Amino acid sequence: MSDASEGSLATLIRKRWRGWLRAFHRDLGYLAVGLTVIYAVSGLAINHIADWDPNFTTYERERTIAPIPADVPDDAAIAQARAALGVGPPRSTYRAGDELHLEYDDRKLVVYGDSGQVTEQGREARFFLRVANWLHYNRGKQAWTYVADVYAFLLLYLACSGLFMIKGKKGFLYRGVILVGLGAAVPIAYVVWSGGPSAANQAARTAGEPAPAPTAAPGS
Amino acid sequence: MRDPRHPDPVELERDPSLQRRWDRRRFIQGAAAGTVLVAVGGALYRLGGDELTRKARAEDRGDGRKRLPPGQRVIERFRNMGGDEGPGDVKSFRLRVHGAVRSPYELDYAALLKLPQTEQTADVHCVTGWSCLGSLFKGVRVQVLADKAGVKGDVRHVIFEAHHGYTTNVPFREAIAPSVMVTYRMNGKPFAIEHGAPVRGLVPDLYFWKSAKWLTGIRFVVDDEPGYWEVRGYHNHADPWKEERYG
Repeated sequence: MSDASEGSLATLIRKRWRGWLRAFHRDLGYLAVGLTVIYAVSGLAINHIADWDPNFTTYERERTIAPIPADVPDDAAIAQARAALGVGPPRSTYRAGDELHLEYDDRKLVVYGDSGQVTEQGREARFFLRVANWLHYNRGKQAWTYVADVYAFLLLYLACSGLFMIKGKKGFLYRGVILVGLGAAVPIAYVVWSGGPSAANQAARTAGEPAPAPTAAPGS
Repeated sequence: MRDPRHPDPVELERDPSLQRRWDRRRFIQGAAAGTVLVAVGGALYRLGGDELTRKARAEDRGDGRKRLPPGQRVIERFRNMGGDEGPGDVKSFRLRVHGAVRSPYELDYAALLKLPQTEQTADVHCVTGWSCLGSLFKGVRVQVLADKAGVKGDVRHVIFEAHHGYTTNVPFREAIAPSVMVTYRMNGKPFAIEHGAPVRGLVPDLYFWKSAKWLTGIRFVVDDEPGYWEVRGYHNHADPWKEERYG
C-alpha cells in the first residue's frame, strides 16, 4: 500500500471513527433493548424481594367444617371433606395424624380433622416477571450463560462507546468527565461508608468473638 | 418585573434553540423533583409504618440480648425469598437422617407425626433485614432425630439437606438446642409451598437461610461442610446479634 493510500485511510478513520462508533452504538443498542428490559425489570423486582413476591401472587383462606374423627376411614373422610368444601376430585390425597391433605394442581387444602379447621393455599404465577426472574437468576443454566455473557460484553461496549460518541462541548471532555466521575463515586462512596463486605466480620471480632475459621467448599 | 428564571415568551417563540433548552431544563427539573418526591415518600412510609420495630427494639430476650437483632425491621408475615422449590406435597415427603450415626433411617410424613412433638414460639430473622416475631411452630426437635439415630461422639456439625442439592450447616451443639426443630406447621397452618412445604428446618437463633426449606435430610458430620449460601459469600455461622451476614 502506498503512503498516499495509507494516509487517506488514516484520514478516513480520523474523520469517520466517531460516526462508526455512533452507528455501532445505535445498532447494538437496538439489539440490547429486549435483554435490558428483562434484566432491568426483574432486577427491580428481585431487589425488593423482601417486600413482595416477585414471582407469584399467593392467597390463603381459612374455613371451618364439621370435625372428621380419626376413626372415620380414609375414603369416607375424603368424601366428607370434599362434600363439605364443595371441591372436585383432587390430584392426590394424604392422611396422617389429624391432617387430611387434598392436593390440586394450583392449590392445596389441609383439613385438621380434630377441629374441622381448613386451610386453603394457592398461588398464580406473574407470567412476565416469573420468566424474567428465571432468566435473570440464570436458573436454566446451559446456553443462557453464553447469552448473558454476550449481553454483558454488549453493555460494556455501549458504556465505553457512549463516552466518545459526541465530541466537543457536550461530550466527554465537558460535563462527561464530571458525570462519569459522579457515577463512579457512588459505588466507591457506598463501600467506604458501609465498610464493605468485611465490616460484619470486623464487628464480630470487635465484640470479642473469634471469627470463624476459613472454610472450604464441600468436597474440596 | 419579569422573573429572570423564566425566559420571555416572545423570545422563546422567536428562537427555537432557546425553546429546546428551556424544555430540557423543565424536563430535568421535573425528573429531579419526581425522584426526590419518591425517595422522601418512601422514607416517610417506611418510618411511619414501623411501630412494630420500635416496640421490638425495646424488648429483651432474657438472655442478655435484645429481642430484635441489629439492622432488622419487623414485618408481620414471612416474605418469600425464592429458591428452587421441592414438590411440596406430603405424599412424596421423605426425611433421611444419616451421616455419622449408628442407625440411619428415613421417615415419611406420617412417621414424622408419630415422633414426640414440640410446639414453640420463635422469632425468625432474615439476612435481608426483616424479622418475623412470635410465630408458633410445631414439629420435631433435631435432638429427638439425633437420639433416634444414635449420633457418634465425634460429630461436630449438622447439615440440613433440601431439594435440588441445597444444604446449610449448623454447629452440632447449636443444632440440638431445644429451639431447633424440623417443622411442618406455623400458627396452626401448614407451610405454603414457597415457604418450604411440607417440612422445613427451624434454627431461630441463626439467620433464616439456615432454616432450610423443602427439607429432605439431616446429616451429622465430623468436618464442617459450608452449604449453598455459605460458599457464596454469606457467613458460615450467621448469628443475627453479631450481624454475621457475610463471610
